[in-house]
Amino acid sequence: MRIGDFRASYAHDESLWPTRVQRAWLGVLALALIAFPFGANGYQVSLACMLGIHVIAAAGLNIMTGYTGLISLGHAAFMGVGCYTAAWFAQRGVPFFATLPLAGATAALLGMVVGLPSLRIKGLYLAVATLATQFLVVYVFREWDSVTGGVRGVNVPNASLGGFELLNDQRMYFLIAPVAVALLVAARNLFRTRVGRAFIAIRDKDISAEVLGIHLLRYKLAAFAIGSFYAGVAGALLGYFYRAMTPEYFTLQLSIFYLAAIIVGGLGSMLGTILGAVFMTLVPELLRGVVAGIAQWAPRATEILSPVQQVVFGLLIVGFLVFEPHGLLEIWRRVRRTFHLWPFRA
Amino acid sequence: MSQYDHPTDPFRRRVVGASLGAAGLAALPLHSAIAQSGEIVVGAAPPITGVFAFAGVGLHQGLGDYCEWRNTKGGVAGRKLRYIGEDSGYKMDQAMSVFKKIMGANKPPVFYGDSTAWAKAAAKEVSQLGTTLTSSPSFSSDLADPKNVPYYFMAGPTYTAMGEILLEYINRTSRGASRPAVAIVYSDTEFGRDPIPGIKAKAGALQIPIVQEIVTKPGAVDVSAEVAKLRRAKPDYVIFHGYVLAPIPEFIKQMRESGMTTTPMGTIWSMDKTTVDAMGAAGQGWMGVMPYRYSYDTKDAPTMQIIKDFAAKARPNMSYVPLFYTHGWLVGMIFSEVMERCLKAGKPLTGANMKAALESIDNWDTGGVTGLLASLKGHQIASGRIYTYDANTKLLEPASGWIKTA
Repeated sequence: MRIGDFRASYAHDESLWPTRVQRAWLGVLALALIAFPFGANGYQVSLACMLGIHVIAAAGLNIMTGYTGLISLGHAAFMGVGCYTAAWFAQRGVPFFATLPLAGATAALLGMVVGLPSLRIKGLYLAVATLATQFLVVYVFREWDSVTGGVRGVNVPNASLGGFELLNDQRMYFLIAPVAVALLVAARNLFRTRVGRAFIAIRDKDISAEVLGIHLLRYKLAAFAIGSFYAGVAGALLGYFYRAMTPEYFTLQLSIFYLAAIIVGGLGSMLGTILGAVFMTLVPELLRGVVAGIAQWAPRATEILSPVQQVVFGLLIVGFLVFEPHGLLEIWRRVRRTFHLWPFRA
Repeated sequence: MSQYDHPTDPFRRRVVGASLGAAGLAALPLHSAIAQSGEIVVGAAPPITGVFAFAGVGLHQGLGDYCEWRNTKGGVAGRKLRYIGEDSGYKMDQAMSVFKKIMGANKPPVFYGDSTAWAKAAAKEVSQLGTTLTSSPSFSSDLADPKNVPYYFMAGPTYTAMGEILLEYINRTSRGASRPAVAIVYSDTEFGRDPIPGIKAKAGALQIPIVQEIVTKPGAVDVSAEVAKLRRAKPDYVIFHGYVLAPIPEFIKQMRESGMTTTPMGTIWSMDKTTVDAMGAAGQGWMGVMPYRYSYDTKDAPTMQIIKDFAAKARPNMSYVPLFYTHGWLVGMIFSEVMERCLKAGKPLTGANMKAALESIDNWDTGGVTGLLASLKGHQIASGRIYTYDANTKLLEPASGWIKTA
């Protein structure tokens, strides 16, 4: 039974992973991430790639919404900006290690513009302002033919490094997974800095934060910029992953998907982001797998059970919100406490 | 016993337990029995749910039933077909996921997707793999391109070709010195915009003036401003494209209320009988292009009779066989024809061999599903017929012969 961590220095107190057990588990996780594509089949690797992209995008939204309290319904638009930026540069021969930050930076610029009203409005009003951005940006995607390919969309050349093309999911995994890990670590680090703590202060009470000397506009714009940067990078990876993209992908539905992911996972937590993205990505796959399993013995089951699986997925989300409003993160914490305190009750 | 003794709600435990149980069931080997030697897997990701579900269920049933029927006739070159279809939800992520799952587990030589977006996203991977021939309900003009999308075909004409067939009909039936005026109303989507340049080009070639062009949201409700524009333009025909139902009935209702005698026309996805029935009184006189016969039109069409009989036997609750079912059935026929040609020639079912076999299909008798002998050289069947709706009989009746475009 573990009863706590003894921290003897500020450095230890500030460390990202303070215990040896945590570091050991992270080592195991890193090894598992490296080994995964060698042991998994193509479908599982493609799911892992999508999961990585969703985790990055959801992390961006969690920085904006979960940590800073700025509700955004335009996250899909930021992703789209990243995707089209990467496509535009990639078509001109710019390598992926340059297109990814460029995509993020372009989305971040847009994020800052969209974030401007956040000084005057917040809550639902800000949500509506970002909703307007969602529609405006998608309109631009559809109309700006010379850059976005209009409604027909764009082709994205394969990402390549020194002539080595990332032309399948297994190779893409080794681009997506490290980027996802790096961005998650960066996000976790962010909240040990003055900037990250300012975000949290703004979320908890913006007037108090201002009294404490936090420049609201600067930090709110920073939150929008960082969150949009993440979305832009996720969008660029999405473009490289699918190698073709149309504006119809970046719908409001996608923005809501990410909002649902961070709520189900746990607002204001990177682990919650991962859990939420895993839930929103893998649970529908599992449910469909169940239907496919049943369809092996009853071929007509697919057409009857496919709508049911959507209902079940919806009910699961509602169930989590009702029975565990703090999200999957709280369940995870409870499970962890159970192990830590065993044989006593958590 | 206080609540603190049991901080975890037992119900929540049951929910989590049930979820884990479902996950465990999903993890069962799904394909161990599939890869039997001799079986040919037909993979599919039809949109059984989502906004295209109205068609997706029929597409799924049609393709699946064709495989069943074909197996009763000995399969393809003696090999049985096994249909594996999973719902795409009309979402690209999900469709790609189903595609990758079925491709990874079963390596089907043929795969049916769900949309233009899927076809475009999968095209590069399909070309790279070189193992699979694909199709989908998309008739996007970009996809009938043997050079750039070599392993994709469509079981019908492109949307552009559908527009050309409508204009050809208008041209052939116009009387008098003045040319008939045409207006185009389309949705602001990839689907809606696809054929517009082609329609304009064809109209220019036939010297048919396009007097008005209106773009709307896919399900627009208030169309009074658009109808006012149409009134001013006074078109003889209005071609609607990029919709299934709304806002077409509202357009027609308001056009009639304002005294317009314009003939409304549509393309394939707004031409199913159930869709036109749903237009109510506005459906009277509705015209449009259909690449296939309707299921009730079985005269001199043995395949349509087979479809009708098989559906009646396999699906007793299905009172009418929708065009989506017919489309799925025809896709199955083409898949089978292509694979049969390869296997009979002793060639393996590779993408290149199947592409060659597909392009060798010329003057092919579909048993009346298509009115003319079909050719798939251009990876589409570029023919169709104009039908008109009779609200009294609630049937769509032929208004022209079968028209083939170049």
